[in-house]
Amino acid sequence: MTALTRRNLGLASGMAAAVALSAGAMIAFSASAAPAAEPGQPAPDFTGLTATGEQVSLSDFAGKTVILEWTNDGCPFVQKHYADPPQNMQGLQDRAGEDEIVWLQVISSAPGTQGHVDGDRAIEINEGRDASPTHVILDPSGDIGRLYEAKTTPHMFVIEPDSAIAYAGAIDSIPSSRVSDIETAKNYVTAALDALEAGETVQTSWAAPYGCSVKYE
Amino acid sequence: MKKLLLPLITALIAAPTLAPLNAQPVDGGHARVELISERETAIPGETVWFGLSFEMVDEWHIYWKNAGDAGIPPRAYWDDQTTVDAEAIGAIDWPLPELLPVVEGEIMDYGYSGEIVLPFPVQIPENATGPVRLGGEIDYLICKDICIPESVDLAVTLNVGPQQVPDRENGARIAEALADVPVYFTGEVSLTAKGESWTLSASGGELVGASGDTRFFPDGHEIVHAAPQPVEFGEQGLAIELTPARPGMPEALTGVIRVAVDGEEPVAVRISASEGDVLAGTSGLGSSGGEATTAGGGTGGLTSGAGGAGGGLNFFVLIGSALLGGLILNLMPCVLPVLSIKAIGMVQVAARGERGELRKHGLWYTAGVLISFAATGLAFIALRAAGQFVSLGFQLQYPAVVAALALIMVLIGLWLLGVVNFGSSVQNVGSGLAGRQGSAGAFFTGVLAAVVGAPCVGPFVVGALGAVLNQPWPVVMAVFLMLGFGLALPFLVLSYVPGLHKSLPKPGLWMERLKQAFAFPMFLTAAWLITVLGNHPAAGATAFGAVILAFGIWLISVAGGRLRTGLVAAGAVLALVGIAWPVASGLQEAPATSGVAASYAAAYEPEPWSPTRVDELIGEGRGVFVDFTASWCATCQVNKRTTLKREDVLEAMDAANVTFLVADFTRPNDEISDELKRRGSPGVPMYLLYAPGEPEPEILPTLLNPGMLKRKLEAFLTTTAPAERMTP
Repeated sequence: MTALTRRNLGLASGMAAAVALSAGAMIAFSASAAPAAEPGQPAPDFTGLTATGEQVSLSDFAGKTVILEWTNDGCPFVQKHYADPPQNMQGLQDRAGEDEIVWLQVISSAPGTQGHVDGDRAIEINEGRDASPTHVILDPSGDIGRLYEAKTTPHMFVIEPDSAIAYAGAIDSIPSSRVSDIETAKNYVTAALDALEAGETVQTSWAAPYGCSVKYE
Repeated sequence: MKKLLLPLITALIAAPTLAPLNAQPVDGGHARVELISERETAIPGETVWFGLSFEMVDEWHIYWKNAGDAGIPPRAYWDDQTTVDAEAIGAIDWPLPELLPVVEGEIMDYGYSGEIVLPFPVQIPENATGPVRLGGEIDYLICKDICIPESVDLAVTLNVGPQQVPDRENGARIAEALADVPVYFTGEVSLTAKGESWTLSASGGELVGASGDTRFFPDGHEIVHAAPQPVEFGEQGLAIELTPARPGMPEALTGVIRVAVDGEEPVAVRISASEGDVLAGTSGLGSSGGEATTAGGGTGGLTSGAGGAGGGLNFFVLIGSALLGGLILNLMPCVLPVLSIKAIGMVQVAARGERGELRKHGLWYTAGVLISFAATGLAFIALRAAGQFVSLGFQLQYPAVVAALALIMVLIGLWLLGVVNFGSSVQNVGSGLAGRQGSAGAFFTGVLAAVVGAPCVGPFVVGALGAVLNQPWPVVMAVFLMLGFGLALPFLVLSYVPGLHKSLPKPGLWMERLKQAFAFPMFLTAAWLITVLGNHPAAGATAFGAVILAFGIWLISVAGGRLRTGLVAAGAVLALVGIAWPVASGLQEAPATSGVAASYAAAYEPEPWSPTRVDELIGEGRGVFVDFTASWCATCQVNKRTTLKREDVLEAMDAANVTFLVADFTRPNDEISDELKRRGSPGVPMYLLYAPGEPEPEILPTLLNPGMLKRKLEAFLTTTAPAERMTP
């Protein structure tokens, strides 16, 4: 029986390959078809679970401008931009709310790492700092983060209504953890939104993101 | 009390500003930071080197001028009491950083750990009369798993006089740091697009004869920091392959090339490269660092066995995919028939309402499956321990095995049709229809499910098997057992969850019909196995043997009356001949060729592969595509149909000056299995693509598509074109 099983198992690969082809082809296809999340490229679609337990896909917001914000409440750079005053991130979110821009916060910290929170805690944190994202997406597996190659918190993406990525990278031009630098820095997200609203091309479509590394597992 | 304390505190706070010379280190939390200078007394107008000294807690690090994917470099905010102008304070001359892989293959940072001095020059004012003071806040981000921005207030005061007085100790530390600052490269550098990557070649100067662990640290973010950087060495220097972060070549790529030298300080040079041809003499003397580069990369271990070569696949992912693979196995065409029998047996037991019996069945069945898979795992481990290269599907290289398997499939098919009974004692093994013989029957059904199920092991299993090829034996065993558990799980659940068995359909004639219908997938499997034999003599023998076997079995089944003994004997002899003949002819020497070549486009004659032929072609400056294939490998056939047989792909190969070689693994071949092992491939297919003149190939994904292959080939065109123009 042993030998028989082993032989069969070998045979497996051959036949399995045939069976595997459908699945394998799909995997391979999705792998090669996954576009890089870069300015000018279409934003890869994803589906995630929000802090309130809803399923949300990027494609749900087709036709609207979408902002993705990678965050980690324990990261000093995130704290810099949520500091009160000047409420830099909150201000951006308020503006997004007024302009009917969808703001998706993504938390890609793996369980047991800095910034990993459950839905209730995520909502509590946002209430505590006056933040008003449309949704908080919990991505403990890091799948969405990796799809977008999010490197840091914060790491920002501005996605146009036609789903092209208009901006990817740092929130502003001064990589530091000093709150006082916010005032003098050029905010790239604001600039991108202004340009989109004015129907102009976004001047800076990419800037090296700065902050803490995303805490993938 | 308060009155007394206040002045004391004030005095303490004021103390640092009163310190005449270099201040003491300040603890910022995870580093002791100090502002040092190479002089105690400087003369007006001279340039003096200062340094920010960091003594970090173990495992914590700060960042280089380019932090890489995350992090930021230290920064000084000089205060109002600093007595030199901001312009007089020069930028930090950054010593060579180290690599800080934060998330393997995904996030790479550059920085320093342990102790480091960051030197910077300061011009002492011409008109300085009194002491010069330099002070302010130093912000630095220090990280381990998490990052903490720390900030320290530092100040240093320097006497100014007509005669220099060195600070010997700090001067030595600064000098040491300056020695670690990469020098400006005196040779030539060039940046060349090569397909989807860039080649940074550097020749002459400090890099002549350099070889060792090499890394390029960019000043900016033009390249993917976490990507591997395969490097080649030549007589004159080296060539590094870089992965661009985005399309478009920069006007100048600046940064530092570091080459480690055994037992000595590494060679580190600062370069600025602009677009040009690959410099001569930067390859041909070996290479390194190119291991983990695959085109798609990073999709995990599920796509192909090749993913296992990189190692590090999470154990739980492995176990999980094995369980999933086992579950899926239940639906495979060769398992389903057997399982249907099992299910039918359970339907009957359930109909009789014997709950206890049902549970016993479930347990024994699971035991049968698990023991079979454990045996398979043991065989796998034993073979590996014996030093054999266990490649996926290697058993199918032996025609006798294939012939025997085909006949077993025929036999199972006959039994499903009801032509054959295996006698009353083991009747339950198969039909199990009555479900009378409970335990033993259930156990053997489990074994049988494992045996017939194996040929249909699904996609996840292939991934898992590929991944375990090089794993320690407990992991191998765990994966095999998990596969079995997955296979057994549905029945186990069915027999244990109360009430679930009631949802099973009522027994009836449909069960017999279903069983018979399932004979045909078995015959199909047999037919496929015969085609695997290709042009081997065993192919014909197996086909005829199957018919003889069927006839013999039929004779036995209809035997009765006076002729009974004779017919049974004749049938048994025929059945034996039907099996023995194909297996015997399978043991004969295989013909030299297996007919793989015939499956390519008619007009196309692929050359056989050999390492020397590859060397020859590469030496001629040609590219090479090698198809490691076997006629029993279904993925290989699909790739041929979708990609390798296509005229346009073959033309693209021709145009790109790439020669098509075939390594046929249909029969055992040591040279081929060595090559598979060397490239970390668990078996065929494997596709190697050598760029024209390049000694190291790219390993292509195991599932090809024409677009991908043509893009890669076309990329050679653009990079080889300039070279062609150069030749007169």
